[in-house]
Amino acid sequence: MSAQPQLQTKAYAHPESLVTTEWVADHLSDPGVRIVESNEDIMLYDQGHIPGAVQIDWVGDLNDKIRRDYLDRKSFAALMSKYGIGNDTTVVFYGDKNNWWATYAFWVFQLFGHTNAKIMDGGRKKWIDEARDVTKDKPTYTATEYKAPERADYKIRAFRDQVMAHIGTGQPLVDVRSPREFSGELLHMEAYPNEGALRGGHIPGARSVPWAQAVNEDGTFKSAEDLRAIYEGREGLNPDQNVITYCRIGERSSHTWFVLHYLLGYPNVRNYDGSWTEWGNLVGAPIEK
Amino acid sequence: MFDRQAFIDNILDHYEHPRHRGALDDATVTIKGGNPGCGDIITAYLKLDGEDRIADVSFEGEGCTISQASASILSEQIIGKSLSEVTAMDHEAFIEDLGREVVINRLRCATLALNTVKAAERKLLAQRAEAANHTSEIAARADDEVLTF
Repeated sequence: MSAQPQLQTKAYAHPESLVTTEWVADHLSDPGVRIVESNEDIMLYDQGHIPGAVQIDWVGDLNDKIRRDYLDRKSFAALMSKYGIGNDTTVVFYGDKNNWWATYAFWVFQLFGHTNAKIMDGGRKKWIDEARDVTKDKPTYTATEYKAPERADYKIRAFRDQVMAHIGTGQPLVDVRSPREFSGELLHMEAYPNEGALRGGHIPGARSVPWAQAVNEDGTFKSAEDLRAIYEGREGLNPDQNVITYCRIGERSSHTWFVLHYLLGYPNVRNYDGSWTEWGNLVGAPIEK
Repeated sequence: MFDRQAFIDNILDHYEHPRHRGALDDATVTIKGGNPGCGDIITAYLKLDGEDRIADVSFEGEGCTISQASASILSEQIIGKSLSEVTAMDHEAFIEDLGREVVINRLRCATLALNTVKAAERKLLAQRAEAANHTSEIAARADDEVLTF
């Protein structure tokens, strides 16, 4: 990986987990690199994307078609093959909403152990703002023989029973939703309709750290120093803790999971993808307001 | 009718050049709908003629390309229809009009505008019941209430 001064100055624990827009522009023809766009708005890709980029959609590609769960090993291998991604391909994710869905896709890839993955700092917005090349051409790649392991849900994914047990341990939870969702005033994101949660509030003991506090105005991640000031200086977290992040369905919290694990180097961070759309509907689950 | 790219082009055209966009000051019924998946919000303004047919329609809203474009596409289909005819409109046919293959992973976005205007008939009945001081089981919905679909 070539030196990227803009990232080095931000002093991240795992700087290799990010690339700059400039790095991506320099690797558009690199056969060992696959650029993946993941968005909330699925048709942004059709309006123009980074040349050579493929689209992976969290609904159509990453979710199980029937159950509330992720795709299985076989489907993941087929998806990788379809986009010409081999086990040794460097996958670079970018997307809208300051990389919410890019980090979400990145997180799902980690469930399958595809560690050679990176996020393009600043996401789609920065690429467009810099007036870099976009195309409507959809690339095709030669199919690969991807070997996917079974999905490893135990290390970076938390389930409701684990969250329930976590509450009593004194280990931190980070609620990355907006303050009004955290307080229970809203059952959904600001300017979003109700997701269907029957109760408002937050998981007992959770710290409120809205995900957007981790990004600068241009969509890039804040420096490690600035991130530590938030998560450690203000919220009292430290890397020795076992941290669980959550939001409404796990997309915004995958962003904070990425920040804590890759940018600040916390070894034990799990994303509770059931999040408020599960917890806020669970019969008997404890809630704080 | 269209191939896949033509459906995409049609949706993008309606997104970039929306028809019937904006508010109608003299709307007979104003109704809001939302889809949490992409954070889409639609406000539909329907102006009815003396026979309760849609004389004019407009949409406002924010959200993903499919949700906003589908409101524009719908606006071209419903002028002249009665609210009962709108209520009876077929989701599947509308999805075909949008391009099923293109919107298959965002069906809630694709049908948000349709579901919103389908709810207009009930709202009109509630409005009229309230205006006539009749007791109605369907409370008139406040203009700022967002129905979730």
